[in-house]
Amino acid sequence: MDAALRAIAEPRRREILDLVRTRERSAGDIAARFDVSRPAISQHLAVLEDAGLVSARRDGNRRLYRARPEGMAELREYLDGFWTVHLAKLKDAAEHEQRRRRGRRNR
Amino acid sequence: MADATAEDLYRQDVRIDAAPDVVFEFFVDGEHMLRWMGIEAKLDATPGGEFRVDVNGRDVAVGEFVEIDRPHRVVFTFGWLDSADMPPGCSRVEVTLTPDEDGTLLRFEHRLVPADRLAQHAEGWDHFLPRLAVAGAGADPGPDPWLDESPH
Repeated sequence: MDAALRAIAEPRRREILDLVRTRERSAGDIAARFDVSRPAISQHLAVLEDAGLVSARRDGNRRLYRARPEGMAELREYLDGFWTVHLAKLKDAAEHEQRRRRGRRNR
Repeated sequence: MADATAEDLYRQDVRIDAAPDVVFEFFVDGEHMLRWMGIEAKLDATPGGEFRVDVNGRDVAVGEFVEIDRPHRVVFTFGWLDSADMPPGCSRVEVTLTPDEDGTLLRFEHRLVPADRLAQHAEGWDHFLPRLAVAGAGADPGPDPWLDESPH
């Protein structure tokens, strides 16, 4: 999970992820869209792949990349644990406050 | 935004038996915030104002208010202090309150800020989610139930 968080922390990696979300692309195709070196893009792709956010396959001498939707699903599941608990507490606290105000008004 | 689902990290609708103006206070007032999240809060609910909540004595959520439309909508960025892994500017929380009879329908959305908009948010942001991961490891016991429940 840490790896996925770290992977999407870098804006360029999120752009790469966007590029391969709907279609498979070669490393060369991806690199051509950025103003940084090809090795830098390869490094970003490796980080994304290690984090499980993209998958790669070989096609002749090219490597083709595609987003793995399951990768983001894990991140969402993780945040789910944090926010769901807190939103339940928020609901309780707000309803308690509302009852307190109504009680005061009716007194 | 090319693909909204790509940026959505978390979304939930919650029906609350309290009026929108009551619910709204829980996002913009520190004392109210502490009733549902954190042990210390400093909130300056003006555009560009500070959002800072010490969640458990170790993990401090930091951000900046982006939009305050009382009592309908509040937007703030959200990240973790002293975490080099994930910058706060890359995610934000959007809360929308809709009156529902004598209560409120709260829509809570936490999403990544699209990369092309990141530059304008980048200044002043340093950190984000990994503290969540660290907090999830749950070494320190805290008042936050999420810490206790997380198996990570």
